[in-house]
Amino acid sequence: MVAQSTMRKRQREAGIALLISIFILLLISVVAIALVVSSGTESSLAGNYRSATGVYYAALSGLEEARGRLLSKNSDAFTTTNASGFLPATGIALNMGDTYYLINPVGGEAITPWDTSSTYGDNQFGVEFGPSGFGAPTNPSPTALSVWNRNPLLALNLPGPLYKWVRINAVSEKSAGIDADNDSLANNTVPLYYDGAHFSNNPLAGPQVLELTAFAVLPNGSQKIVQYLAAPTPLNLPNFPAAITLAGDSANTVPANSLSYSGPNSPSFNVDGTDSFRFPFGSCTATGNVYAGIGYTNTSDNSQTNIKSVQVVAHASDYKGTGAVTPNVLPVTMPPSLQTPNDYNNLVQTITKNADVIITPGSGTSPPYTSYATTDMTSLGMSPTNPLTVVVNGNLDFNGWHSPPGPGYGLLLVTGNLKYDPDASWFGIVMVIGKGTMTGSQNGGGEVDGATLVAQTVNPSTGASLTSLGPASITFSGTMTGAQGFYYSSCWIRNALPTASYKILSFHEITQ
Amino acid sequence: MSSVGSEARQIGFTLIELLVALGIFLLVTGAAFALLSSSQQRYQTESQVLTSFQEARLALDQIVRDVNDSGFPPPSFLITGFPRNSSSSPFAWSLGAGYPGASCQIAPPGGGGNCTTATAGLTSPGDFDLIVETDPNPLDPSCPPNPCPVLWIRYQLQGTTLYRGTAQKASGGDPDTATSTQLVPFVQNVVNNSSSGQITQYQLAYPTMFPLNAPVPIFSYNCDTGGATTPCWSAGTNNAPANIRDVVVTLIVSTPTPDAKTGLPRIVQLNGRGRRVNPNQ
Repeated sequence: MVAQSTMRKRQREAGIALLISIFILLLISVVAIALVVSSGTESSLAGNYRSATGVYYAALSGLEEARGRLLSKNSDAFTTTNASGFLPATGIALNMGDTYYLINPVGGEAITPWDTSSTYGDNQFGVEFGPSGFGAPTNPSPTALSVWNRNPLLALNLPGPLYKWVRINAVSEKSAGIDADNDSLANNTVPLYYDGAHFSNNPLAGPQVLELTAFAVLPNGSQKIVQYLAAPTPLNLPNFPAAITLAGDSANTVPANSLSYSGPNSPSFNVDGTDSFRFPFGSCTATGNVYAGIGYTNTSDNSQTNIKSVQVVAHASDYKGTGAVTPNVLPVTMPPSLQTPNDYNNLVQTITKNADVIITPGSGTSPPYTSYATTDMTSLGMSPTNPLTVVVNGNLDFNGWHSPPGPGYGLLLVTGNLKYDPDASWFGIVMVIGKGTMTGSQNGGGEVDGATLVAQTVNPSTGASLTSLGPASITFSGTMTGAQGFYYSSCWIRNALPTASYKILSFHEITQ
Repeated sequence: MSSVGSEARQIGFTLIELLVALGIFLLVTGAAFALLSSSQQRYQTESQVLTSFQEARLALDQIVRDVNDSGFPPPSFLITGFPRNSSSSPFAWSLGAGYPGASCQIAPPGGGGNCTTATAGLTSPGDFDLIVETDPNPLDPSCPPNPCPVLWIRYQLQGTTLYRGTAQKASGGDPDTATSTQLVPFVQNVVNNSSSGQITQYQLAYPTMFPLNAPVPIFSYNCDTGGATTPCWSAGTNNAPANIRDVVVTLIVSTPTPDAKTGLPRIVQLNGRGRRVNPNQ
């Protein structure tokens, strides 16, 4: 009995201790769990905000990659990495309903956005273009891999941004919700173009408007779709007032700083300020506006006398242009932003920054001339649809620039002396800014269509910078024969303007 | 019998035993209840902080998203006769201050500028007032005829409540009056614009907050100048709502009641930055 009673008592005491411990444990657990839950919610809220921001920038990086790679001068341009089969050739518009995808798979995953039932399906396309009759993207669409899936970045195995795809396509009035021609009809078949200020249905108005749509997903499931409308914008160059413009210091009165020109004694050589398109291509048409034949800026010195030289007067009817003036040698005004050597140096810098090719002079000869033959110019593959901006930092010799490898298309900027060979043809803009001298003495049947501008910003002998524009000169020897001459052409000028960038016309986050 | 009586005594407790057990029990439960009460107070305050924090986070997210999207569609989408379908400027100001033709100057810190509104002393864009002009969803089927018109989305601090209101853009309309009747409470207990007395209170608990001992603007603006992006008030001729590139958002929210344990105010500061991507022409 004693033993039993002692046992009972011990059991009862043990029970109370257990109960008390459980009770205390419970209390502490509740407090602990409350604290854990509270701080957990707090950090997950902060996490939500972080992932919303993260996915926004991931999608934006996709847009920026596509926008950058549309520009052909960039090293990873689509025209370089996907030369055929991705986007239409330069100068050819994208059709309505055609889709092109830049894809960015991670770890070998399949990304097939045209399949709307796939993991990263593009449902947004149908939302925008369904009413226009395109319910789904082209199946399958041409694709290009992101820079993160190409070497050198691929080999580095860096974690890139987590966008999945970027769609590139044309837009219409209907899909973009714009009535570009104000006719109260939303056209759904004609792509939109950008005329520099507004949208247009007219393919001649300017470059095509492209829509870039990026889709990003983070591993935690956060999604974002953002969209650009973008169009290539040309570099802003001054208007060319003449077929050949000699730009100097308009206030100059010192005879030695006068501009000069001497022409060949050749009946086939013309300088014509009438806007023409002698070898037409594409859809451009000449305006028929008439500009000066030879324009000069200095009206208070000997420039006019210097330019109306012996052979010019002898072949007066070959120098044509605005007004009933023969030979057509007229004073012109350059814009206020192009008056000093500094202004022109800035222009040279801007063009150089946007150049496709930069050539530095060869050495050995005195003065060192860069022959086109010793440079990459023979293999540049210039064509009317592939005009290039070529900067020659020094003297350029066109001796023997026949066709092929010529003619040249685009913008040619020479900072030294340009030794012109009448064999050579250039369709676009020729600028000689720096030493500001152009010479020529040979034979040939080439021509320059577009506009030519010569300005002197440095002393041609010493290379020292000038404080005001110097005596730019064009010296064609009397014996230079055969050349067709210099013809003003707004179409070739426009074609030659370098694309500065794909301008963002609009940005929008798609509501999902 | 005595052995039985002794057994019975052994079964019960002595007074000492009971007093000691009761004492221990009271100590343990007292401690437990003290802990419980302390945690309850803590829970009460923390859940208030959490609610304020959550509300402010969501608001910040929305403000940043609206600013990112501001100016859509840009003026290049303008069709003659339909200005309501494109943004005249990423950020609007009042008709009285010249909207949309004539621009206005955004105030430097401490007030000024001439982006005045109908409310005396309040400028928009200003420290505590912002009108975003954008079209969040032009293809929204719920507003025929498409496209949906551009909206003026306004954020305005009144007292300690940040209000949000949207109004459809109308030709010749006034963004200021159109939105002022649409404002609804968006975030409570926003203390950015506190009096100096309150700021002193806050600094007792948070010495590093309100570093200038002055109200902290909810919105501060950086403008494009053609070169570097600088604070709008120092951007000279580029000081205009149309040139705003970044909007830095600082939200300081307090809990509805002070900390139950310490009696000091609890506040949370959140920072965000919205960047306008759309061109302004």
